[in-house]
Amino acid sequence: MTMFYRSQWYRKVLVLIVLCPLLWVLSAVSACVSMPSPPSDLVSKGRDIFFNETFQGNGRTCGTCHRAEANFSINPAFIATLPANDPLFVAEFNPALKKNFENPRLMRQFGLIQENLDGFGDLENKFVMRGVPHVLAQRTSINSNQGPRTGWSGDGAPGDGSLRSFATGAVIQHFTKTLNRVAGVDFRLPTEDELDALEAFQLSLGRQQDLTLPLPLKGIVAKRGQEIFLDNKLGKCNLCHANAGATANFGGGNIGNANFSTGVENLPDQPADLSGERNPPDDGFGRPGDGTFNTPPLVEAADTGPFFHNNAIETIEGAVGFYDGESFNNSPSGKLLAQADPNGVGIKLDSTQIVAVAAFLRVLNALENIWQSLELLASSAKKGFAERADDRELLKRAVSETQDSIKVLEGGGLHPEAVAHLQKAKELAEKAHSSFFRRNSLAQQAIDELRIARVQLIEVS
Amino acid sequence: MLSRYLRLAIVIVTLGGAIEASGQQATEMFIPIGQSPGLSNKESVIGTLESVDPGNRMVTISGSSGAQTVGITDQTMIWLDRSEQKQPNQNGGINDLQKGRKIEIKARKGEPKAVAEWIKVQVGP
Repeated sequence: MTMFYRSQWYRKVLVLIVLCPLLWVLSAVSACVSMPSPPSDLVSKGRDIFFNETFQGNGRTCGTCHRAEANFSINPAFIATLPANDPLFVAEFNPALKKNFENPRLMRQFGLIQENLDGFGDLENKFVMRGVPHVLAQRTSINSNQGPRTGWSGDGAPGDGSLRSFATGAVIQHFTKTLNRVAGVDFRLPTEDELDALEAFQLSLGRQQDLTLPLPLKGIVAKRGQEIFLDNKLGKCNLCHANAGATANFGGGNIGNANFSTGVENLPDQPADLSGERNPPDDGFGRPGDGTFNTPPLVEAADTGPFFHNNAIETIEGAVGFYDGESFNNSPSGKLLAQADPNGVGIKLDSTQIVAVAAFLRVLNALENIWQSLELLASSAKKGFAERADDRELLKRAVSETQDSIKVLEGGGLHPEAVAHLQKAKELAEKAHSSFFRRNSLAQQAIDELRIARVQLIEVS
Repeated sequence: MLSRYLRLAIVIVTLGGAIEASGQQATEMFIPIGQSPGLSNKESVIGTLESVDPGNRMVTISGSSGAQTVGITDQTMIWLDRSEQKQPNQNGGINDLQKGRKIEIKARKGEPKAVAEWIKVQVGP
């Protein structure tokens, strides 16, 4: 009996030895055959539309201005790397869009895009020039007690004004073949399903919840910056940017995203104005505008400059310094803050304090970059052999996020030891990207380096 | 200190209430009747223009849920929808509100009647 069972057992093993490679080959072939299958879930569909769908317009996609490799935004440095035939420059090579569609000089020099927020009746004179806001952390940023606030002034979307409807307005404004803007001729409008998918994709980007400050930071300058940020008698930043996000809390509970008139338009010597190009004042929310703009989230700020709706300021230090200046303190918002202050002061910070708040924002941004890189590397490790293309994309984005963390820390002279580990993490992720057989172990080593870097920035429990 | 910022909050919230976060009307004019995202057939009314009362600045639309009268103000945007003719949509005026035309109205609550924020009018060839 024993011999019989033993021979049966050997036979089964023999069958398995023969079958396993055969099954492996068959599954690999089947995986290769099914690789180009269309994305099944809404976010994947939205990603595909965001980056590839031109809506039968001038060639632009949402990703033309909101580039994944540039934190879903664009700035002059990135624009300078693009080829002359990139759809971003459509006004330079499409004769129908040569006039009154974009200002190529302001686009290339300052990253500014032309918008007709006050109507299309006088294209020659009625327009504003705005930077491209990133579309990260929108799940935490756009809701308000009065409804959703999208775009720089909270009124970026047609229809019901929601993020879901935003793409329809963007197609009409930016994707058109001619200035006639006829639906069905110059572009097609997104379908209901496409709007659902685009909204799902956008809401999936970046942070899904706000931080809870204070964080146990290790750097002494960033730590002091956080104290100033949270101090309602000094920095007062947390009032309108609760937990460094995009919502306001004045002590009576969070009121969601809000619009403020902060005087950015009154800044002297704005770069676009110095160029001599036509740059009409931007009146913000509404038509005609009331001079207000909504608050962007700050966690993602340091690596998504230039700053403010008009790209007026290049550095995060300059952006924090704005609130110490006359333009802000003489604005309606600055005056309101002064009225609420026992000493009648709006915001008054000295240079070291400005740099400290900026250092805090730089560290927050670096921590977010590290977190995103860790997520991307972990997702990459889960990808199977047949998902190589997706895997490479994840690794590429992890490299990009890690590079950003290095840039924001180096830019403020912060945490050099952490930067060294981030450099190693980046190199390892790059190697994983190009490696065929060692990508998982290299990605794991990159994860280890990122964790070491994170521990240098913050107490990790 | 807290009470000062609470006062500030009240001011901001009051201001915020005044500036309701509605949609961007500029691109709305290029969206054909019935295709406004999140609005058409939900918040807006689509139907036939039943009557116009220029003196009292009111229009009556006959839609699927019956007749509805709304007011017109100086802020009401009137747009001519020419997309069926593959022509660009245009700004219009009260004279373009002619009986029998297909229209779409986005209204907001008002006293005594709802007030039109915008009206799209389908214009024939």
